[in-house]
Amino acid sequence: MNDEGAPVHLAVNARLPIEAAAGDEIVLVARASCAGGHDRSHLFVEITAPDGTIATHALAAHADGVSETARIALRAPPRVGEHRFQLSLAPHEIAGTRYREAVLDVPVKVRPQTTSLAVWDVPSPVVAGARFCVKAGAKSTADCALAGRVIEVCDANGSVAAQGTLGDAPLPGTSALYWTEIGLTAPTTTGVASWSVRFEGTELELPHDAAATSFSLAVVSAPAHRLTVKVVEQETAVPIADVELRLGPYRGATGPTGLAEIALPKGRYELRMWKVGYEAPPQPVEIADDAYLEIAALTVPEEDPDALWRM
Amino acid sequence: MGTGNRTDSKRASAEVSRRKFLTRGAAGVGAVAVAGTVAPEARAQGTIKWDYTADVVVIGAGVSGLPAAIAARDNGASVIVVDENFDIGGRGMLSGGRVQVGGGHALQQKFNIKDSADQIFNDWVRFDHEESRYSDRDLIRIFADENAALYDFLIENGVEFIEKPIRPPDASTVDRIFVTKEWHIPSQVYAPRRGRNGSGLVRRLEESARKKGVQIFLRHEMTSIVREKHNAGRVLGITTMNGSNPVNIAARKGVIIATGGHTGNVNFRRIFDPRLTEEYQQACSPYVHQGADGELAAMDIGASLWSTANQSNSEGAQITKTRHVGCRWGYSTLVYEPDSPMFAQARATGLTVRDWQDMIFVNQSGRRFWNEVDGSHDFFNAAMGWHGDKTKLNGGGPIWAIFDADAVTREKWKPEPPHVDSDGWFFSADTLPELAARIKNPYQREPMPGAVLQETVNRYNSFVAAGADADFKKPTPLHKIEKPPFYAAWTTPILHDTLTGIRTNTDSQVIDTRGEVILSLYCAGESQGGFAQHGLARCMVFGRIAGRHAARRQLADVSGGQ
Repeated sequence: MNDEGAPVHLAVNARLPIEAAAGDEIVLVARASCAGGHDRSHLFVEITAPDGTIATHALAAHADGVSETARIALRAPPRVGEHRFQLSLAPHEIAGTRYREAVLDVPVKVRPQTTSLAVWDVPSPVVAGARFCVKAGAKSTADCALAGRVIEVCDANGSVAAQGTLGDAPLPGTSALYWTEIGLTAPTTTGVASWSVRFEGTELELPHDAAATSFSLAVVSAPAHRLTVKVVEQETAVPIADVELRLGPYRGATGPTGLAEIALPKGRYELRMWKVGYEAPPQPVEIADDAYLEIAALTVPEEDPDALWRM
Repeated sequence: MGTGNRTDSKRASAEVSRRKFLTRGAAGVGAVAVAGTVAPEARAQGTIKWDYTADVVVIGAGVSGLPAAIAARDNGASVIVVDENFDIGGRGMLSGGRVQVGGGHALQQKFNIKDSADQIFNDWVRFDHEESRYSDRDLIRIFADENAALYDFLIENGVEFIEKPIRPPDASTVDRIFVTKEWHIPSQVYAPRRGRNGSGLVRRLEESARKKGVQIFLRHEMTSIVREKHNAGRVLGITTMNGSNPVNIAARKGVIIATGGHTGNVNFRRIFDPRLTEEYQQACSPYVHQGADGELAAMDIGASLWSTANQSNSEGAQITKTRHVGCRWGYSTLVYEPDSPMFAQARATGLTVRDWQDMIFVNQSGRRFWNEVDGSHDFFNAAMGWHGDKTKLNGGGPIWAIFDADAVTREKWKPEPPHVDSDGWFFSADTLPELAARIKNPYQREPMPGAVLQETVNRYNSFVAAGADADFKKPTPLHKIEKPPFYAAWTTPILHDTLTGIRTNTDSQVIDTRGEVILSLYCAGESQGGFAQHGLARCMVFGRIAGRHAARRQLADVSGGQ
């Protein structure tokens, strides 16, 4: 560097070191100033990227003694670690004063991109020992194409229970969730069973962290009986449709006639219902054979004192 | 200090003034009010040059102020009403128009409803109900006695009711709610087609008031109430600002505070409940701001608060769930559609929730905190609980509804503008960790940890599989949150009723901290302390009483007695 001449101060509008994920865009503004507050909007700042490529950017505006570029879009290196961009302003002369070269190192700490997972269409309950399928997808924060990558599903012991290869296209409605369907077998013991799911973000164009999540479902004995439930309004006896019914993990919903059929094994249960605008207390139910019962649900008004009043 | 400086002082102290709301939209987020609005010099009568004079000056053209003005005019007074807004009505304009008026009036008789003044009194002094337990029984007595007369007054002034009685969901024991008819000109209803029947109430009262000669000065923001001496003597009038112009209005007989309450003033509301920090929005914003203007101006000249326990009772509608999620102001029954003049500021209609089973609620840390289908004060207490933010000990921080694509299908939502406000109040992402990372909002002080949100949802999903919520006993947890994309929608509780305020006697005259009447000063409506009834009737009863009493005073009384 030529030390002859007056100094020029270079700065950027970002806290240093800049932290970014691999391959992310980094937007900054470069500023040049000197003790005399001279206008340098006719000069250019040179930026040398970590890979040695060089680009120049005009100092486009001058105000309050500082000349600055427009917003400059840089790209974080595709490698995790500490890197640096170098900004420089060549020696120049203004109003008879010679200014020496100005240089600013802009360190960048690059972290990996991250991945994350979703698991859906998980059936529940599932009969002990039965086969079932779930859908699983992986997403990169850089929206990388993950087609062909593998998602692993592990059982409660940590053993790999199944794998799925991500398909070619993202799930409709998502920006870049690549997904697959995975077949599994339910354990032979009943209860809520969980599986862990993981995705290794290796060998992608950009470095990625791995992702993990879990999902669970209820494992039940094979149903032997049929419970028929009819839900009616308490005062009018009018059947109520679309009432959700639950007996522990067993579920059903009433149809237009207020009827629901739920298959379940022998045992004692608590039957609960849910529909907005109605309520009924939980009912104890003992299933020893096919059975029928009726729920009389009370209509409840909206809670809000300003609730919309309908004619 | 000149008038301009006094106004600056007032502006600096107001949390988010009405004018700021109207001109800057969502500006002022997180601002905190400072109690005390008026420089002492403002009260010295010698410095005031009066621009207008009327017998009675009413501050606020809403549900209290309009009846006050009409009653004063009916009793021979000249009346000027000022309002800071660009139109009349206050919160009444956006109300459902459910007037809890009884006492055995003609419409009740038509439906064979047995009611009386004594029945109203008995209902509203019940010890076994949170909303009546803390009532000032002297005020309840006069309220009860004036109820049937209020109905007659409303009919005489053109208000029309739908002829169907409703049982109030509060301390009342008989059918006593009647709904006014919505104003017939949609462009004059700020949330048209959404059941804002209160527009018919305030528009009819406005119509009647103007016909009777009441002058209404809009865009006049009261900046102080002027008293003869700092804490003594009678009230002389008010100072206002009309834009940047000071306008001072003298009152020969009385000034009536009908400013609508304090709910929107963070500093003032925290007098009663320190949990009510800045993240809690105010119902009926951005049309109306309940800035405690009347309370602060009255307290500056010595007025007392009264019956403050009502504000923190655990039954009332002072706080409600945000029913329209994904927008800033999703108050229960109020929706600003895109053709509303307020939509540019409201920015979204929100997604109206049909069934709270379709989502979970998490705090800013990504953790559930209560059973989502509960709408009781237990829910609000949990929402306002401390969630571990060491830099914010009061208030519970933002609450987010988390749901998935299946919930969108069940609710028949379109999670896009104009239904949602994606600029800080609604987010979507392909996975839960990415959703958490996208949540950025003025009240979200720390990033939501993605791993925590994912674990919260996974745990909840296991409860759905098991059929029981082991953490918060949500009855029959129905739906997993699993199908991408995922959504986070603002659903922080929203504040509604002001249930305490300035102390008055049964003539609505303001009482000072020593128990003495402040001559020529009245208060009615949500700025008045006394009892915790939700809605319109108490505003109108005491507005009428104030207007009538002020107008009937002889000028000799004004300068001497009460």
